[in-house]
Amino acid sequence: MDRRYTLLAILVVLLAAGLLIIPNKGEKKEIKPDKLLLAINDQARFLSTDAITERIIGGDPTLQLIDVRPAKQFNTYALPNAVNIPLDSILSPSWTELLHQPGKDKVFYSNGDIESDAAWQVCTRNGIPGVFVMKGGLNHWYNTIIKGAEPSNTASGTDLDLYSFRQSARQYFTGSGDQETAQSGNDASTQKPAKVSVERKPAEKSSGGGC
Amino acid sequence: MVAPLIPMGVIPESWNNVFAVILGFGFGFALESAGFSSSRKIIGTFFGYDFVVLKVFFTAAITAMIGLLYLSYIGWLDFSLLYIHPTFLASAIIGGIVMGIGFSMGGYCPGTSFCGIAIGKIDAMIFMVGMAIGVLIFSEAFPLLEKLYNSGNLGGKLVSDSLGMSKSLFAFLLTVVAVGMFFGATWVEKKVRKVEY
Amino acid sequence: MEKNKKSGTFYLNPYLSGFIFGMVLLITFIITGRGMGASGAVKSTVVEAVNTVAPAHAEKSDYYSKFISDDAHPMNTWLVFEVIGILGGAFLSGLIFNRLKFKVEHSPKITSRRRLIFALLGGTLFGIGSQLAKGCTSGAALSGMAVLSLGGFITMMAIFGTAFVFAWIFKKNWI
Repeated sequence: MDRRYTLLAILVVLLAAGLLIIPNKGEKKEIKPDKLLLAINDQARFLSTDAITERIIGGDPTLQLIDVRPAKQFNTYALPNAVNIPLDSILSPSWTELLHQPGKDKVFYSNGDIESDAAWQVCTRNGIPGVFVMKGGLNHWYNTIIKGAEPSNTASGTDLDLYSFRQSARQYFTGSGDQETAQSGNDASTQKPAKVSVERKPAEKSSGGGC
Repeated sequence: MVAPLIPMGVIPESWNNVFAVILGFGFGFALESAGFSSSRKIIGTFFGYDFVVLKVFFTAAITAMIGLLYLSYIGWLDFSLLYIHPTFLASAIIGGIVMGIGFSMGGYCPGTSFCGIAIGKIDAMIFMVGMAIGVLIFSEAFPLLEKLYNSGNLGGKLVSDSLGMSKSLFAFLLTVVAVGMFFGATWVEKKVRKVEY
Repeated sequence: MEKNKKSGTFYLNPYLSGFIFGMVLLITFIITGRGMGASGAVKSTVVEAVNTVAPAHAEKSDYYSKFISDDAHPMNTWLVFEVIGILGGAFLSGLIFNRLKFKVEHSPKITSRRRLIFALLGGTLFGIGSQLAKGCTSGAALSGMAVLSLGGFITMMAIFGTAFVFAWIFKKNWI
């Protein structure tokens, strides 16, 4: 009986030793430069502010907005349900789980789209799938959705549709479709975050499943 | 690269629960057939008269670990897609200590108590009632514990990375240690007076 | 061996059981990408119960509300289904090896009552600890170890280290 166990033990140890011999590949999953270049040239990573607004209003569960601006700016104003990951901590392990959530579109945004695009590049290089950038950032979002200009009388039907969509979106975000009140509401930007439900408990949320 | 099958979309999500029952069945059978439905057999590990917990636990861990590493080597499985239990340093240690005390008092852990319940152990049923009460207490006291619950988050950190070695070297060392423990355990079992249970 | 089978004291070779167990765990990882668990099912049940009895309270609490809301936590229901499987598998094994019997197992030195009180207390502590560590012996320690999670190893050492010390303190309960 003992001899059989000894044999078994040797077998197991040999099997484990086999792991040492095989080359260690893919420890760090970085994608190759040529693939990265291809991805950078692909404009599909940019999502328009209108498309995102529509998904916010529709309560799309696959949308995960990520605000890469510093925390102070995030606390002053942020899009609903966005998570704040300042650009310098994008690689911090506390966010890996959030960034790797399967089935979610991780959309980065900043004031413009320079920081958010940088975050996109870092993540893409690290092999994180499903990351996007909000084209134009918050500034563009504000200009189109909150302050969207009325189209001229000769505008095409699609433009008019877009305008009416933006108008209803404005109503959603500011509580008023009227441009004047919308703007006065925005001047007092400090009262804003109270209205917008900002959720900030990302990684723990899914890890709570645990055992 | 095909596995993990459900996250990769090879098997549709809707099959998830079917596999849950099937895999749970294997889990329950393996545990019960090894004797994990008996609290006195489980606790034997700590007094040296029955090391079945140690043997089963470590055999299972190294089997799964070596299997995963080989599968990831031949490219059937994407290790980075696996769910790595996140490391929360403080809560892992304190939670572990609380569970350790509970383990030595109750004689079960959740998985084994389900096995006990299935074969009619009344103490296992009471243990499960206790578990539910414990979860309730924790949830009610959560505001007090929230800070501890979230502190020291290191994310899905690998033990091999924090020790500065490769995954395979760590796996090899763990296997050697486990096999050493098996022999040690068998030796101790022979020395210690048997306990009838 | 036949005789042992009849008396309900026949157990499978621990290494064979461990191997089966490890293969089941491996297949679980291959199929679902996650490990096994048990305490999560208890948590889901408790959350569900609280949500049914006092929905307003559950909504308000920071902890319950993490796990209710929508269908965003498939893992929890997964564990409930898995536990149904565990009960079935263990029952089958008990049937084969002739161990199906209602009883309270305890050391001859203590009464059933004392054993049940300790089981209740132990269960309560385990419930609290498993929520704190975000998993129990199977979910955190075993599944964590299989994927080399640091947290899994820490939890495993904390559980077994503490249990070793405290088992000797409660020695009378066991041998």
